[in-house]
Amino acid sequence: MAAVPFFSAFSLNDLMFMAQGAAKTLLLTLWSGLLGTVVGVVVGWIRSTRAPVVSQLLGVYIDVIRTVPLIIQFIVVNSGASILGAPLTPFGTGILVLSFYMGGFVAEVVTAGIHAVSDTLRKAGRSLGLSYWKDVRYIVLPLSLRAVFPAWIGLLLGLMKDSSLIAVVGYIELLRASQIIINRTEQPLQVLLGAGAFYFVMSFAASRYAASLERRWQF
Amino acid sequence: MDYTLQCGVVWKAWPELAHGALVTIELTVLCMLLGLAFGTLLAVAKLSQRRALGLLSQCWVEIARNTPALLQVYLAYFGLGAFGIHLDPWWAVLLAVTFNSAGYLTEILRGGLLAVSPQQRAAALSLGMRSWQAYGYVILPQVLRIVFLPVMNQLVWTLLATSLGMIIGLNDLAGETAIQQSLTFRPFEFYTVAALLYYLIAKSMIVTAQASGRRLFRY
Amino acid sequence: MIEIEDVHKSYGKLEVLKGVSMSVQRGEVVVLIGASGSGKSTLLQCINGLESIESGRILVDGTDVHAPSTDINELRRRIGIVFQSFNVFPHYTVLENVALAPRIVLGLTRQQARERARDHIAKVGLSEKLDVFPSKLSGGQQQRLAIARALAMNPDYMLCDEITSALDPELVNEVLDTLRMLSRDGMTMIVVTHEIPFAREVADRVVFFDSGTVCESGPPDEVIGNPRNERTRQFLGKML
Repeated sequence: MAAVPFFSAFSLNDLMFMAQGAAKTLLLTLWSGLLGTVVGVVVGWIRSTRAPVVSQLLGVYIDVIRTVPLIIQFIVVNSGASILGAPLTPFGTGILVLSFYMGGFVAEVVTAGIHAVSDTLRKAGRSLGLSYWKDVRYIVLPLSLRAVFPAWIGLLLGLMKDSSLIAVVGYIELLRASQIIINRTEQPLQVLLGAGAFYFVMSFAASRYAASLERRWQF
Repeated sequence: MDYTLQCGVVWKAWPELAHGALVTIELTVLCMLLGLAFGTLLAVAKLSQRRALGLLSQCWVEIARNTPALLQVYLAYFGLGAFGIHLDPWWAVLLAVTFNSAGYLTEILRGGLLAVSPQQRAAALSLGMRSWQAYGYVILPQVLRIVFLPVMNQLVWTLLATSLGMIIGLNDLAGETAIQQSLTFRPFEFYTVAALLYYLIAKSMIVTAQASGRRLFRY
Repeated sequence: MIEIEDVHKSYGKLEVLKGVSMSVQRGEVVVLIGASGSGKSTLLQCINGLESIESGRILVDGTDVHAPSTDINELRRRIGIVFQSFNVFPHYTVLENVALAPRIVLGLTRQQARERARDHIAKVGLSEKLDVFPSKLSGGQQQRLAIARALAMNPDYMLCDEITSALDPELVNEVLDTLRMLSRDGMTMIVVTHEIPFAREVADRVVFFDSGTVCESGPPDEVIGNPRNERTRQFLGKML
């Protein structure tokens, strides 16, 4: 490597550009995380009831979402929307696809969380006279949340990392911004390490937090 | 909408897509095998008494799991360029996806190793077996059964991860799809077929793995 | 013969064996009795080197078990051990479980190992279960499998660590019968057990363990029938 100082090729503009990318990554992650969670909770709850046809169909949705590369999902939705005459912005495509993607994973976690509350506990609650909804509110919900929360954080972090793929339909989040700067400055290592540091710090901190919560909630 | 779906163009590109699929499968298998090899070494390192080994292993795992796979591909493809190493897209994807898979597999394998009762090792050693015999004949076969399902999930994950190569110009299934659709301006048809192909490849891998699993784990 | 000389063993700060001395002659059946946690199981695992010791010596036919120069794998071929929790290999059939060590440790051919395995499996009465996996066996059958597996190495000594404690009561006898047979065949055994009547019947010598030391030792009729030590009397009073 040249003897030139490490960050000589970078201007303040570049850093601003990267920071904007990082902000967009967070925006995308938080919005699709939120919507995906809503979708996932609904789907997961329906599947936990084991209702005949609906559960199977939802199962297929979850299966497909997890077995097709995310890049391809982005492109299919993006081009499909154009064909249907309602073209989406890159951000729109990202939110749409990532929400359903996140929803699929959240659904599985939610179903497992609901089942984790053993039937005997629920029978005890019902025997005490709790209605179905009270049973859900006072017994299933608190216990499920504890089972589900650490896993949910993990999914959210996965979502943040996967958001980097949205670049393929032209949205300029952190990683795409990095690539653009690399092309200009020819300093791939510093840029990538910088971007990597951002992802790493956010992800590592959040997962450590989730792990400590999991430990505290062991019962 | 005034658009007619033309699947015929996809059919015409069949040889190229098939070739891409082969590249995808080849890369997936290689990455998994190498990932398992490294994952085993790292899992053993983590469980060993020597702190330096454990720390090294931990670093690999944390970096692999807390940064986007695409970033890791970029680091392999662009980042190494800073050191004068210019890898082919194929090698960059092999390096990056192996690194990534190994990180996840380490945790899976470590869990598996811990799940086998230490008494099994005591029994094996008491019969006069050397340490490597105890591991090879008694412990690892049992670990294999325990980790089978998570490893299969990781296999699908690896398959999907190889599609990232498309962004740096790899000629795998996703990459070939990109090339072909740019010749005919039919992204929707092409990528939908690609999605289907990925789904089929993933499912065949799972079915094959499950069949071998049933034969290996008759107990 | 096995000689145990003033052995001390600690787990961290907790001293489990506080100066244990005893010896076992060839052909003897020595039964160790005592409360849980008194160190009996630990002693057994020290004899075949699974556990280390802080001070003292254990000699098996003159070889110091814990000396760095000792080939521990070679030593372990001469000592068979059966555990409370069976520890049979779940991924091998009955036949494979017993034939494995003779093949990979002693170097027998697959054919020879299987023949030897069949003999020992027949001895413990499991011949109809040769190709069955342990998950399909009862606890008593699994324990007999563990005994056959240890015997297949033709050990000079057998160590039995509370091998009936994890069994349902109706399955205990089949295992004790196997031990009776072994003692009749002249096998040198150190047996840790809670089955006091069995101890009285089979033992040449009974040793009572209390808090990490040998409290009383002697022929079964003495130690069990007419104990001299107060603690021995208290322990037996609780057991019988």
